[in-house]
Amino acid sequence: MEHIIQQGLLVGVLATGVRLATPFLLAALGEMFAQRSGVFNLGIEGIMMMGAFFGFLVTFFTGNPYFGLGSSLIVGFLMGLLMALVSVTLKAEQGISGIGLYMFGWGLSGLLFRLYVGGITSIPGLGPLHLPVLSDIPHIGSILFNHNWIVYLAYLLVPVAWFVLFKTPWGLRVRAVGTTPEAADTLGVSVNAVRYQALIVGGVLAGLAGAYLTIGQANMYADNITAGRGFIAVALVYFGRWNPWGILAGSLLFSMADSFQLWVQVMGITFPYELAVVLPYVTTILALAVSVGRVWTPAALGRPFDRGSRG
Amino acid sequence: MKRLVLYLLLIMSLVVFTACGTQQASPSKEPTKETPKETKSEKIKIALVLPSTMDDMAWSQSMYEGLKAVQEKMGKDKVDLAVSERLGNAVDAGAAIRQYASQGYDLIIAHGAQYQNVLKEIAPDFPKTSFAYGTGFQAGPNIFAYDPQAQEGGYLLGVLAAMMTKSGVVGVVGPVEAGDAVKFNYGFQQGVTKTKASVKVRVAYTGSFNDIVGAGEMAKVHMDAGADVLTGSSQQAVGAIRAVGERPGKYWLSTDMDQSKIAPNTVLAAQAYHWEKIVSKMIELRKQGTLGGQHLILSFSDGTLELKYNDKLADKIPKEAKDAVEKAKQQIISGQLKIELPKK
Amino acid sequence: MTQAINHLEMAGITKRFPGVLANDDVTIEVQAGEVLALLGENGAGKTTLMNVLYGLYQPDSGEIRINKKPVHITSPRQAIELGIGMVHQHFMLVPTLTVAENVALGLVTSAPVLDLKVVSKKITEISSSYGLAVNPEAYVWQLSVGEQQRVEIVKAIFLGASLLVLDEPTAVLTPQEAAELLNLLKRMAEQGRPIVFISHKLNEVMAVSQRVTVLRDGRVVASVKTEDTSAQELARLMVGREMTPRRREGEARPGRTVLELRNVQAANDKGSLALRGISLEVRASEVLGIAGVSGNGQRELAEAISGLRKVTDGQVFIGEREVTNRTPDKMIASGLGYIPEDRLHVGTISSFAVWENLVLKDHHRRPYARSIFLQNGPIRSATASLVGSYGVKTPTLDTPTGRLSGGNIQRLILAREISRSPSVLLAAYPSRGLDVGATEYVHTKLLEARKTGTGVLLISEDLEEILNLSDRVAVLYEGKIMKTLPVSEANERILGLLMAGVA
Repeated sequence: MEHIIQQGLLVGVLATGVRLATPFLLAALGEMFAQRSGVFNLGIEGIMMMGAFFGFLVTFFTGNPYFGLGSSLIVGFLMGLLMALVSVTLKAEQGISGIGLYMFGWGLSGLLFRLYVGGITSIPGLGPLHLPVLSDIPHIGSILFNHNWIVYLAYLLVPVAWFVLFKTPWGLRVRAVGTTPEAADTLGVSVNAVRYQALIVGGVLAGLAGAYLTIGQANMYADNITAGRGFIAVALVYFGRWNPWGILAGSLLFSMADSFQLWVQVMGITFPYELAVVLPYVTTILALAVSVGRVWTPAALGRPFDRGSRG
Repeated sequence: MKRLVLYLLLIMSLVVFTACGTQQASPSKEPTKETPKETKSEKIKIALVLPSTMDDMAWSQSMYEGLKAVQEKMGKDKVDLAVSERLGNAVDAGAAIRQYASQGYDLIIAHGAQYQNVLKEIAPDFPKTSFAYGTGFQAGPNIFAYDPQAQEGGYLLGVLAAMMTKSGVVGVVGPVEAGDAVKFNYGFQQGVTKTKASVKVRVAYTGSFNDIVGAGEMAKVHMDAGADVLTGSSQQAVGAIRAVGERPGKYWLSTDMDQSKIAPNTVLAAQAYHWEKIVSKMIELRKQGTLGGQHLILSFSDGTLELKYNDKLADKIPKEAKDAVEKAKQQIISGQLKIELPKK
Repeated sequence: MTQAINHLEMAGITKRFPGVLANDDVTIEVQAGEVLALLGENGAGKTTLMNVLYGLYQPDSGEIRINKKPVHITSPRQAIELGIGMVHQHFMLVPTLTVAENVALGLVTSAPVLDLKVVSKKITEISSSYGLAVNPEAYVWQLSVGEQQRVEIVKAIFLGASLLVLDEPTAVLTPQEAAELLNLLKRMAEQGRPIVFISHKLNEVMAVSQRVTVLRDGRVVASVKTEDTSAQELARLMVGREMTPRRREGEARPGRTVLELRNVQAANDKGSLALRGISLEVRASEVLGIAGVSGNGQRELAEAISGLRKVTDGQVFIGEREVTNRTPDKMIASGLGYIPEDRLHVGTISSFAVWENLVLKDHHRRPYARSIFLQNGPIRSATASLVGSYGVKTPTLDTPTGRLSGGNIQRLILAREISRSPSVLLAAYPSRGLDVGATEYVHTKLLEARKTGTGVLLISEDLEEILNLSDRVAVLYEGKIMKTLPVSEANERILGLLMAGVA
């Protein structure tokens, strides 16, 4: 551990930032698909809580974090499905149903925790994954490439999400349905089916993001474990302009700023802590404000599709 | 039909939400309009308002357990206990507090410094009811302020940290720079530097009370930067403890309550708060007709604060370390040792 | 391509919406090699019928038969598979996608990865064999409306359409583009396709179709061979009464100048120059027509005059007063009346009641208001009489304006603007999207205003409208006036060339 200090602040900041970005990246990539399809899912936070809780619970009872992970994905799937049912089929106002989903997720995870666990308990988490060659690079190898595999997966998902969105027929349908659902409808694309699929993809990724918190990062569960990370992920989708690379940039910017302020505080560099803790937010807002150009948004975002409303 | 499903979902989530929010509170069945003090001398109704949950393994749980202990001691039928959780927002808490007061609860404990103003507003409307909050020192005619001298335990743990560190660096995972946390950290810093001036104390704050993941990350950064003994307060500390527990040879010093359960091989010692003594005192005062107005102090001198070693790690702590801690403790109790506090 | 459609019949189609009988026992028939024109006013049920054919709506009763076999079409996907292609009135294209992506969206494929190269190649083949120039790599938002329409046709053919349905396809085209399209449709019919052409423009119907089915109020009122009928007769069938196009009467007796623009420049929303030095003059008692394909600065011109857009250079006068860059309320006070292009969002507040929209411009003046209070009595009686005299069909004065039909909203705007007796009336596309009857009414009212001394600036793409109403015609092309000429010297050919930028 001592050599980190020799490597200086920079490597430490990078290594921590890379890790901190993981849950944002996962949740925001999922939310990107939902919003690209035209549904604004503010319930990501609730899905993350449920994913975090079930990942924890199943790991707690089975002792196997992979079972926990699997159940997080299933819960994410179901929560995505619930959001789709409410916002797509029942056409409820999306902002309200998202908040409802968040409260539902928070309430239910807290209740089940009390009923089935009853106290703060730690669980075995996922250990770091040793990458051949990379992890063996002197000094930086053990820092930058010493994470568990969900971290690598999150970064790997960035190009994957880009490819799916821009190079596959499904991605094409998602983009069309979120911009001009009427046009997609006349081409035989089921608008609602695509939105269900996109919300479920978003739910599964949010579930994974939650699982990362309990199984990959904290190795325990406590009430309100997500502490607003799901809402930040939603903001990062805007920051990233609904593009996986933009989301990567936003997640890294936010997390690097967070990591930087952690290190600055810990190294005892004189800096008011009140400013330090808001640094990630301020940096991200500033970056958003100074980035020029009109912001494109999916034109049909927030608008339920109703064929009958046409003339 | 669609509407119906929607309403059902909404109701479902509300039920789940509230079911979790309030435990055991079924006060509406009770008669409400009676004057509590004279008629209920044999039975007392206590309500507890918590910023987080009663199983947070820290601040909130320690008070909850203190109340349970009181209930245990006085007899289950003698104490009615209602708890409302997740009321970190003082405005939301205000609604619950007012509700309890109008339902005839005798003693309402709002467990956090942030409730001071809310109580000031509500208490005059219910002159027969006793209110309590802490950390704080401003009492009112029917408001008790309780005030743990967290710096005392902080000092003792600081002495221990200075004796235990091998790297010469100790880290503090602070929540928000206010109240209890600042007092604790001040004591801790003084304990360390007075014992070994060469040991560096690094204090950092996460800006949150309940971000356990964030606290864990901060602990990891502390350790990456060389710290081998860490401490920190508030309910989010459990995340930090778990993070420290993953790295052999690193130790944690607890406050609020004995947290060794989370990481038995990591938590060396804890400053534990004996809330049951404070609560008993408030009940006693009330029986004597004092509804509030007192500034109740928790300290080592009267045993309301206590230093507990983790039995499992007893052999890891050298005798001279324990002796140094014991010496400091006696000096604190005797008043020989004065710990400086931040100037307001 | 799937099977070829030689014969299509929709028999006894009835479609009800809450409170409306959109199609009432409608029967149409079309064969390979012919163009069937479906003629009718707005709201006659043409589009509903075609949406039934395309699987977007399910009929309450009736049957669709393709090649004499009954089919049940429950979704657009099924319609496409049966060989039905549709070009909707409002283009069904995703602007943020490329042409090739828009086409690929309709492909049923199990391939996990898009192969846009193959799609682009096939698009190029189709576009060269039908003479429909489209660039598969272009983004749809970059295309003109004419190009977008070509994309729609290519898309339908690409997806294997045998029968083509075109809903009001010429509404957005220049005369030259429209003529080209009609030729294309004829050629495609000659190659053996059945084509359904929906329109309310009689000359186009006469020019392109072999047979005509006329719809009125959801019912078929006639099915005739085009060669056996005339435009006059079709107009009568469509509207249900005799129709004569409104024309200005009498020689122009232009009075003083009521509106003058001197070398006006303005930018569009993207910041590039949209008006490059416009100078024009409108006199009292005359109609100055501004012809041109929309997108050549019409919107910016109208907004610059009405005070909604900043004039970057030059001057605007209303009467004697200079009003350059004054606020809209100053413009109104100077005597400007404005019938905007977007009647639903700019012309009215669609969630406001009819009476509210009627007093919008004068609500703060007597007799509608006294100090800070609205006077309900005077407002109600004044608006009720306006609704009556302009024939606005509305259930009550309190009905939200957005619920009225386009024609009735336009009547409401006319009532508000003309009743204020403006010295100059700016009318942007006043009949766009309106049916024959409503158009006739708008024209009558504009000519009445001219008669009473108002100077009218008429912006339109409809050359027939321009030629019938204007005393003088100015042609706008790429932000400049190409030429201003007396209507006696203008005809469709000359204007069409000027509109295309050919001097």
